[in-house]
Amino acid sequence: MVFDWTFLTGAGVATKLFSGVVTTLQLFAAAWIGGLAVALVIVALRAISFAPLGWFMRLFVEYHRNVPTVVQIMVWYFGVPEILPAPVQLWVNRSQSEFVFAAVALSLNVSAYYSEDIRSGLRAIPHTQIEAARAIGLSAFAAMRYVSIPQALRIAVPPLLNRTLILFKDTSLAMVIGVADLTYQVKAIENLTFRSFEVFAVATFVYLTFSLAIMGAGAWFGKRFPPGFKS
Amino acid sequence: MAIGALTISHSARADRLGDIKARGTLICGTQSSSVPYAYQDPNTRAFVGYDVDICKALAKGLGVALEHRPLSTEARIPELKLGRVDVVAGSMAYLPERAAQVDFSLQYLQGKIKVLVRESSGINTFADLKDKRVCASKGSSSAAIAERALSSSRVMTFQDVAACNLALQSGKVEAFTAGELVLKRFFVDSRKSSDPYRLLEEATAIERIGIVADKGNSGLLAAVNDVLRKMDADGELDTIFDQWMGKNSIYGLTRSFKVEPVDQAM
Repeated sequence: MVFDWTFLTGAGVATKLFSGVVTTLQLFAAAWIGGLAVALVIVALRAISFAPLGWFMRLFVEYHRNVPTVVQIMVWYFGVPEILPAPVQLWVNRSQSEFVFAAVALSLNVSAYYSEDIRSGLRAIPHTQIEAARAIGLSAFAAMRYVSIPQALRIAVPPLLNRTLILFKDTSLAMVIGVADLTYQVKAIENLTFRSFEVFAVATFVYLTFSLAIMGAGAWFGKRFPPGFKS
Repeated sequence: MAIGALTISHSARADRLGDIKARGTLICGTQSSSVPYAYQDPNTRAFVGYDVDICKALAKGLGVALEHRPLSTEARIPELKLGRVDVVAGSMAYLPERAAQVDFSLQYLQGKIKVLVRESSGINTFADLKDKRVCASKGSSSAAIAERALSSSRVMTFQDVAACNLALQSGKVEAFTAGELVLKRFFVDSRKSSDPYRLLEEATAIERIGIVADKGNSGLLAAVNDVLRKMDADGELDTIFDQWMGKNSIYGLTRSFKVEPVDQAM
């Protein structure tokens, strides 16, 4: 069997692939930014010594790390609207909410991992630095904001990058709730043309290209801003 | 790209039929969880269904033993292309694009693809579905056909028919398109609920379902067609139909299709 690429010029095939790539990138960007933002909030909340809050945050992190990502997406899409009041529920269900729910689910999922990575980075910073920051009159918040968090983020870049790559691949799980990402479109094209090998080869190539680009950007960042970099 | 020149070697030789006879087994693929076509009987754990019986009859007709392979929807075509199964009786409907990749036998089944809506939605015709969201199961013939037949609607696919049913129940989609038998089960269930469904009269298409073999197995396909014609003539096809879809089943349909080429004008 020889690969035959002529089907790519078929009606709507190229359009489907292109819109799939765009949706995948949009979902990745939304979940990446959302995930980092939520992760920083988690890091801050976990620094507070209040037992019930600590338990809740641990529960949050462990849920997102131990339940399959695809299940989390399903829970958000099919489950969460059910607990809303009826009129809101109807409005949510009628609106085209797949993308939003997928972005929320993926953001929360990746934020759990990101927050752990950043906390590991924080633990790598000598406590004497925080003491020094407090000694020169910085508040606890300012010490975190100007001294520990920036350094922790930098130290955490390799594990964060690793998790970001996984997040990029996880965007393909959103197709189970009908988000028309690249994998969704690839399967639709396959279903119509039965050109399984070729269409999955295209998808592999696209995913690999973007994954390598993410890795390359991370490597460049690591070189350009080595730990201890002074601007 | 080196991949463009990549060829996958497999045993699609002109004499697949000879291979099957020499081997003494027919490897026949079906769906794995599709009632009433091919699914696991909850009590015996054995795979049963219309397609499974067709596989059995094919093997018997060719005078060999049957090796039945339940396949996931996604795996049906790759398994065939890689030569791991000889034929697939996987309720695959004929579409011209698909026929460019695989060969279809005479039709051994025909089905209507229909549309299910909530009675409260007030949708009666396909025209009412304009710009509405219609759900189909991923990888199904219904999904492929709906993109054309309901081109003014927004067709979206979910993982399986259960997810589509859930989406229709909760109002995430306005309609659900699938084979008539599949929809009938959900329709019957919904009559007990507070928000019952309605099955629209119109059909998006008449699916012509054939047994699928990889390209270049004309000998095998001719033998399969002979077996199908014989089953049609001696009443075996009627018996199988009656058991799964006809008078001995919950569906009570009457067989109206002929064993004829799948690509007849629809």
